[in-house]
Amino acid sequence: MIEIKGLNKYFPGRGRSEPVQALRDVDLTIRDNEFLTILGPSGCGKTTLLRNIAGLVPWDTGEILVDSQPVRGPSPERAMVFQNFALLPWSTVLANVAIGLEIRGEPRGPREAKARELIERVGLSGFEDRLPGELSGGMQQRVGLARALAVDPSVLLMDEPFGALDEQTRRLLQEELLRIWEQTPKTVVFITHSMEEAVLLGDRIVLMSARPGQVDDIIEVPLARPRSQHINELGESPEFASITTHLWTRLRSMQVLNT
Amino acid sequence: MSSAEGPALNIDRLLDSRWFLRALAFAAFALVWQVYATAAGGFFVPTFTETAAAIGRQLASPEVWQAFATSNIAMVLGFGLAVVIGIPLGFLMGRFRLAERAINPYLNILLVTPLAGIIPLLMMSLGIGLASRVIVVWSFAIVMVVVNTRAGVRQVDRSLIDMVRLFGAGELGVWRRVILPGSLPAVLAGVRVALGRAVTGMVIVELVMVSVGIGGLILRYQAFFRFAELYGMVVLIILEALILLAIVDWVQRKATPWASMTSIRD
Repeated sequence: MIEIKGLNKYFPGRGRSEPVQALRDVDLTIRDNEFLTILGPSGCGKTTLLRNIAGLVPWDTGEILVDSQPVRGPSPERAMVFQNFALLPWSTVLANVAIGLEIRGEPRGPREAKARELIERVGLSGFEDRLPGELSGGMQQRVGLARALAVDPSVLLMDEPFGALDEQTRRLLQEELLRIWEQTPKTVVFITHSMEEAVLLGDRIVLMSARPGQVDDIIEVPLARPRSQHINELGESPEFASITTHLWTRLRSMQVLNT
Repeated sequence: MSSAEGPALNIDRLLDSRWFLRALAFAAFALVWQVYATAAGGFFVPTFTETAAAIGRQLASPEVWQAFATSNIAMVLGFGLAVVIGIPLGFLMGRFRLAERAINPYLNILLVTPLAGIIPLLMMSLGIGLASRVIVVWSFAIVMVVVNTRAGVRQVDRSLIDMVRLFGAGELGVWRRVILPGSLPAVLAGVRVALGRAVTGMVIVELVMVSVGIGGLILRYQAFFRFAELYGMVVLIILEALILLAIVDWVQRKATPWASMTSIRD
């Protein structure tokens, strides 16, 4: 369980200007093995929140507890999938997937065996010796996903992971991610700016508003699980339509305020 | 077997070969030079053929090889020191703000100072020995190494650093796994530019103050009106620089094959 209590985060202002508040009084509890999506306009601090949970950047007041332990820095229990994939361009697919295990000090044999297993799970068998630059964007993010899963984390933090991909590739990877998550459940915190994606993937949607970033609403998604087999039909169901309408009304009012 | 292809010399194929085009351009250049020097050049401009003959003589002359050796000792030492000192400096300045603040003014001074102008000062304080020439070459080259290395460190993808830190890497791991390999293409680009500057520095110091080596020989040719040899010397310097550049390019290709790779987007 991840508990976020009264989180406030400021960024120093430019020059002499006032500090900018990035997050205000964020309270959020994320259940074990829950798929939580975070949706909000740009500038709502959703990436900052994710980096706080990861332990990459400090916050000012409040606390974050993971399984009752306060977050004080990065932990191998929490792995991240990046929007720009963040693959080492000079390393092969195999070495990229194995890097978490390598940093942890795992010997070559078991580490590569584990990496090969995950490469197969994300459907990239045969590409072990390729460099990232030789792969398409969708394939690169499969590598990013395999790399995060390779260290067997209990929490998967995903920062708009499919935001840089085209429509079809995005849909394929959504299905793939759901399939993997249905087989081996873990807590997923998934940031997106796509309403559709937030609804189709999430158990709950956290809607954030901007300037300063705060939790605006938390919405339960009533769509049945498992979803990976029929994600397309779900996208046409009445439940889906009513949730997206609701989300759009809220987002629209925020956008209007911001423009 | 290829009887159906017609004439043995395939014009299209020939025009596709870049060496053929280069040879063609060179021939045109040589012709223009020859015509101009014969018709209007007079005493001071040797013809292309005279220059080519002079180069032939120079390549067989121990005096010329000796001059190249003398100059290149200063070049290799100065350039080597610029690389060995410049790369760590660039790394420090790129990663740590304190180092940047402390060193940047001196880097800027080196960047804006017309170096040829301070050569006389150097000579007066250090004499006309090898040390002065090495320092001049060093000052010409080091700026490019530092500036490019620093830029290379700064343009390393932040998310790569986040990624290895999330997996538990410390500062040392961040350097070894991300910053060093990530900045290598820019570092090598800096070394490449610095090499050109080092060759310039090597010749300039010998022309301006210390008449030894290549610069000394150039001055001598000029004094004795041996203009074909003078032109020949310039060509030989260019040849040396081109060979050195080709070596750096080769290292670049071997060491950073991923840098030239274009990413396929789907």
